[in-house]
Amino acid sequence: MGRAAYIRRRLILMAFVLFGVTVVIFGMVRILPGDPAFLILGDRATDQKAAELRQQLGLNRPFLEQYWMFVSAGFAHGDMGQSLLYRQPVGDLVLTRVPITLALAGYAMGLAAIITLTFGITAAVNKGRWPDQLIRVGFLFALTTPNFWFGILLILLFGLTLHWFPVAGFGETFPQHVWYLFLPALTLALQLSAVLIRNLRGQIIQTLRSDYVRTAHAKGLSERLVLLRHVLRNALLSTVTIFGLQFGFLVGGAIVIETVFALPGTGQLLIQSITARDYPVVQAITVVSAVLVIVVNLVVDLSYSFLDPRVTYE
Amino acid sequence: MFLEKARWPLIAAAIAGLLLSACAPTSTGTGSPTPGTSASASASPVSKVLRMARNAEPFSPFVPWQIDDNPALFISVNVYDTLLRTTKDGTSVEAGLATKWESSADGLTWTFTLKDGVKFSDGSAMKASDVKASLDMARAGEKSAWKDVYVAIKEVSAPDDKTVKIALKQPYAPLLSVLAMFSSAVLPEAMAKATDTKDYDNTLAWKTKGTGAYYSEGWKKGDPIILKRNTNYWRGTPALDEVRIEYIPDDNTRVLKLQGGETDVVDFVPFSQIAALNTQPNVKAQTFTIQQTAFVGFNTSKPPLNDVKVRQALNYATDKEAIIKNVYFGQAKVMNSPIPQGTYWDKNLVGYPYDLEKAKALMASSSGAAGFKMDMQVRSGNTNMANTAVILKDAWAKLGVTVDIQTLDTAVVRTNYRAGDYMSTTQAWTNDMNDPTEIVNYAMRGGASPFAYWTRYNNPDLNDKITKADLEQDATKRAALYAEIQKIYSDAAPIAPIAYLGATAGWRSNVDGFFIDGLSYYRFEDVKFNK
Repeated sequence: MGRAAYIRRRLILMAFVLFGVTVVIFGMVRILPGDPAFLILGDRATDQKAAELRQQLGLNRPFLEQYWMFVSAGFAHGDMGQSLLYRQPVGDLVLTRVPITLALAGYAMGLAAIITLTFGITAAVNKGRWPDQLIRVGFLFALTTPNFWFGILLILLFGLTLHWFPVAGFGETFPQHVWYLFLPALTLALQLSAVLIRNLRGQIIQTLRSDYVRTAHAKGLSERLVLLRHVLRNALLSTVTIFGLQFGFLVGGAIVIETVFALPGTGQLLIQSITARDYPVVQAITVVSAVLVIVVNLVVDLSYSFLDPRVTYE
Repeated sequence: MFLEKARWPLIAAAIAGLLLSACAPTSTGTGSPTPGTSASASASPVSKVLRMARNAEPFSPFVPWQIDDNPALFISVNVYDTLLRTTKDGTSVEAGLATKWESSADGLTWTFTLKDGVKFSDGSAMKASDVKASLDMARAGEKSAWKDVYVAIKEVSAPDDKTVKIALKQPYAPLLSVLAMFSSAVLPEAMAKATDTKDYDNTLAWKTKGTGAYYSEGWKKGDPIILKRNTNYWRGTPALDEVRIEYIPDDNTRVLKLQGGETDVVDFVPFSQIAALNTQPNVKAQTFTIQQTAFVGFNTSKPPLNDVKVRQALNYATDKEAIIKNVYFGQAKVMNSPIPQGTYWDKNLVGYPYDLEKAKALMASSSGAAGFKMDMQVRSGNTNMANTAVILKDAWAKLGVTVDIQTLDTAVVRTNYRAGDYMSTTQAWTNDMNDPTEIVNYAMRGGASPFAYWTRYNNPDLNDKITKADLEQDATKRAALYAEIQKIYSDAAPIAPIAYLGATAGWRSNVDGFFIDGLSYYRFEDVKFNK
């Protein structure tokens, strides 16, 4: 089967996954106790006013009918409904924020790639010696520290003490965005790298022992060339798989990090919306995130054949 | 293929480029607000922009009578104005857009004379017809959230451009306080009338045209709110060109931004950080006195909480001073009365000083003598309430009460107390007007929904006195009635009062005049940068 057919099949599968996501998320937000009507109307609302609002928002209709409205409007017209709390179209609220979360996740992945390659290779070639130990202990610390606390530590060091980066916010121009997003992206990247470095280090060490590496050395190739062309390329395959899977982790981590660094992304909106029982917004963010994760995983799967020409898609 | 030898220098260059671009603004200073340069920025005489970081974003539109959240309210008082204003201490009213007001002998008709030369932010003159249209929307508009407070009004009329008459169904003592509430603000007639049209609240409502010190040209959720100076402001042009309000939900981040000089004013500084901030050179922080209370509400319909002795025992076993010291870091006061420290607050009411022996004796003679289990529902995310609950759990265990602390989302807590599905709940109240009529009618009057649902307490005698206090025109007699109401409610103990809370804020030391008034509003009209 060629690559095109493979992509086609994956896209069809994606539709099924999305259907599952909508069912699960629709069910879950409605199982949550708590009535959005009282949250919107405040403490003072009479029961009658609350009932009127539920009627107006369609919250008193049967679940199946509500689900059908959500799915049909969403897929047929791209209309994700109105936010219960903000009385604005959900599309406007969510879609302006998606690029911020995506930029943060992408930035974090970029930084993570740099960090992983640098420290993964360093650790592997220095196996057992102090640089290896230092890297392993250091990143274990990054992995086990809660990221909101880690973020605050970075703010204290780079924002308040050294003044290299702003404390929080998003900035207004593109260079400012790059500058403002650095610390939050680094916070995510360090945690992500911790997992990746361990994996890459192990893979490199394993590959170094293989016969073809010995052959390459015997041929008289330089250490550098052996490492980069023969070892790394083979070692990277499983690291890239993990890297792709971690995109979901990044979108999740972004929720907390966006709050700490005051970034107006989807994570911040999601937290508010869950607290407010703003069903349409929660549904929209979840579906959009699911699509992103699925697409990124597809891209990762496709990237295998670039890394390893032996990989075919069937 | 990207691992081919020749590509490596390219990748290395890309990495270096990325790192450089990430750091670039610090070295080149491309006009971005570089931390550490705020002193030179504020010294510049050209732009006077106050940057504020706030803990929440509005969700109500900027339509005064449709507002039901504090962030929107704080915008509203800066862009719209009312006939009367609450005084800074929040215990009385003073002239606002009206310079003179008088009541007829029977108390049924009030006449207000408007100040000369008041203009809206677009330069058009404010007329009595604008006041009538706005008040009519506030008391009868379909989307008004505050109709209840205007029920005594029969008719508002504008006999000429300078005069507004308000006819009442019955004498109503709190009228002046109601007219000083944010929901009674004045919009141009056409705009006021348009506020009920479909979709107004999610489109046009963010663009304001009021008589306040500032105006907004529009806002989109997620963006900073920008308030521009109203050069037509009737109290004189404000010193600041612009106020720029950013949304920073995390308490620590907000304070760090202030310390880093990235913002000039922050609200909701954690009580624990006030003292520490004041030891730093460029920052100040303060707790302002506002009319806010923190208490525990008991569901008086659930045994054994239906027994007054049980509730009194829990009250006597509550060490308010310990809570204030440990939870509020001393930044609060002991709550003696069920109402906030506003007008007619009885400062002499004894309430429930901590007395464990008395508490034990009361509990032993009550229907809860054998001990009982009681849930306490706490809103998630509120650290102060959660810590209070932990202290109370320990304190009330000494009476044989097992407190089961349940941390729930606000939506769940609200749904539960609507349904009566709780035994106790930590709550807070903030006055929206200086007069106690709001809290006594809303929280103490029993009977119909939604009244008194924190407690389900219903005392017909108290209900009568609440009605009487609304009708009474004589201030001394009203004070006596409210003292009696506070005493009756305090003795019945449907709540356990804890503390009078303050509102906190912090600012850079070059900011002058930031003030949170008794109703917790802050206005930027008198704020300026010194130097």
